[in-house]
Amino acid sequence: MHPILAYQERISVYLLCWLIFGVMLAAVLALPHDFSWTEALSLAVPLTLVYSGICLSSWYVCRVYPLQKSSLAQVIVVQTMAATLTILLWILIASGWVVILERALVLTTFRSRVLTKAPLLIGVGNILYGLTVAVHYLIATFEASKESEQRELQSRIFAQEAELKALRAQINPHFLFNSLNSISALATQDPAAVRAMTLRLADFLRKSLRLGAQEMIRLEEEISMSLNFLEIEQIRYGSRLQIMQNVEEVCKDCLTPPLILQPLIENAVHHGIAHILHGGTITIEASWRGSVLHVRIENPVDPDRPHNRKGGLGLENVSKRLRAIYKDDAQLQTEESNGIFRVNLWLPAQTSRDFHSRSSATTTVKVSENLPA
Amino acid sequence: MKSLRTIIVDDEELARSIIREYLEDHPEVVIEAECSNGFEAVKAITELKPDIVFLDVQMPKLNGFEVLELIETDLTVIFVTAYEQYAVKAFEVHAIDYLLKPFSRERFDEALERAKEKLEKDLFTPQQEIIQSVRTKDEPLERVLVRDGSKVFVIPTGKIDYIEAQDDYVAIKSDGKSHLKKQRLADLESLLDPKRFVRIHRSYILNVDRLARLELYAKDSRMAILKDGTQLQVSRTGYEKLKELL
Repeated sequence: MHPILAYQERISVYLLCWLIFGVMLAAVLALPHDFSWTEALSLAVPLTLVYSGICLSSWYVCRVYPLQKSSLAQVIVVQTMAATLTILLWILIASGWVVILERALVLTTFRSRVLTKAPLLIGVGNILYGLTVAVHYLIATFEASKESEQRELQSRIFAQEAELKALRAQINPHFLFNSLNSISALATQDPAAVRAMTLRLADFLRKSLRLGAQEMIRLEEEISMSLNFLEIEQIRYGSRLQIMQNVEEVCKDCLTPPLILQPLIENAVHHGIAHILHGGTITIEASWRGSVLHVRIENPVDPDRPHNRKGGLGLENVSKRLRAIYKDDAQLQTEESNGIFRVNLWLPAQTSRDFHSRSSATTTVKVSENLPA
Repeated sequence: MKSLRTIIVDDEELARSIIREYLEDHPEVVIEAECSNGFEAVKAITELKPDIVFLDVQMPKLNGFEVLELIETDLTVIFVTAYEQYAVKAFEVHAIDYLLKPFSRERFDEALERAKEKLEKDLFTPQQEIIQSVRTKDEPLERVLVRDGSKVFVIPTGKIDYIEAQDDYVAIKSDGKSHLKKQRLADLESLLDPKRFVRIHRSYILNVDRLARLELYAKDSRMAILKDGTQLQVSRTGYEKLKELL
């Protein structure tokens, strides 16, 4: 799209400028008394207006050779060539116009007088062409920066949307309904168990709300919330659900996005344990190698289970979130062999110290927002 | 009052216990069995032939709908689940009621009352009709369920070699075994993935992955030789369909 032709107000401003140039050129011709004002105006104004139209085409040259991507020499050579062609075209039109004017207005020696001003006209043509090119480049730079700003904004919105969607998907309503059903069943059998279950549920809900609101949390907090969830599910599934965790001490301070493991743990229960007659053990492991935090979640699966897409959806959400937060620095991988389903998650190992030194440089605004007034 | 026999099917002990508790108020209802998975449920229902079944949907091995598919006797079913989205399907298979977990005693009594009414009027839906409506046709079948007495076989469709029509039954050939299922060949054909299973003959559906080669054996008639050496007749239209796919 042409940056001037596409907008009516830009066309008006552009034409107005050229009209002024035309009058100025007429003045230059008329003031030394070589031309009468009538002659000067009728020569200069139409020609500049025609030239303004021709010069608009320089945009296409500017677009093919943008300042950011081409060398200065390239731009100068190409634009000089384009300018020469444009001016030649203009001179051709001008000579025709001179002949027409001479005949129409019955002027004397008009042609030879114009000829003496040819160097002046060519000079002015060059300057005006150069000006148009400058304006085009200016607009292009302006629009490119606006566009990149918009793209940046868009990607931030996408990232936030992914984040929100992931958070909203955290608390599975069926998990709640089933837990409430367990509570309802326990109510008459074991009041102490009802209390224990209610407390665990409250604990889990509170943690997921509080941690979910944070940007980053410690792995220890994330795992403790997952264990909380599993303990509630243990009341439902009884001995069918066993838990094993093996988290290296050093990993506990590593930072993870909140609730990033939760959907994986839920999958392990609802798509793994829930389909196996005698249940099995869910294993959570975390280790720190070099600069990478490795979390592994394993659960038994029934190889003949019907496949549905819901588990895939949870995985997809996690992987989208990781991409939004870490770009290519995090990886999520799943495998299934011998009745065991395994999720591997590799994250950059960051502790709160790394994170704050990194984020304080880039997001100072955010930090100051949290300060008391 | 005539006593009613019931079976409770749910994989969670606590979920079963609440039904048990609510039933204490209804001495005329006798709990014949409790099952914690689909296999047990099929076995118990075929052997005990209860009047009412309380049926969970999400269970190991077979879900509630799959259990119903395998039952040939008439049955009054009350679904019990935390998932709202199965309600429509539950009524499609003529469930008498649909209890959403957690549910109150009043709501439970109401469901039981409905079941009793239905049993008194002796309004049964022929089971064959249920089987037809259980399967939604938007997605091809992933596994075929076959019941032999009270034993259930789950055959993933990838393991089927071919299927042969035998009167009112189909014989599903898989791993050298043959499983009989009461179903029409055309009905089963419509549920299978058409990119993989081809009706090569009036009496055969072939898993094309098993095909080794085709041989001309008479004018207009061909023989499909499977990888294990089995020979199946291919009709002219069957040959056209195979050609289109391969």
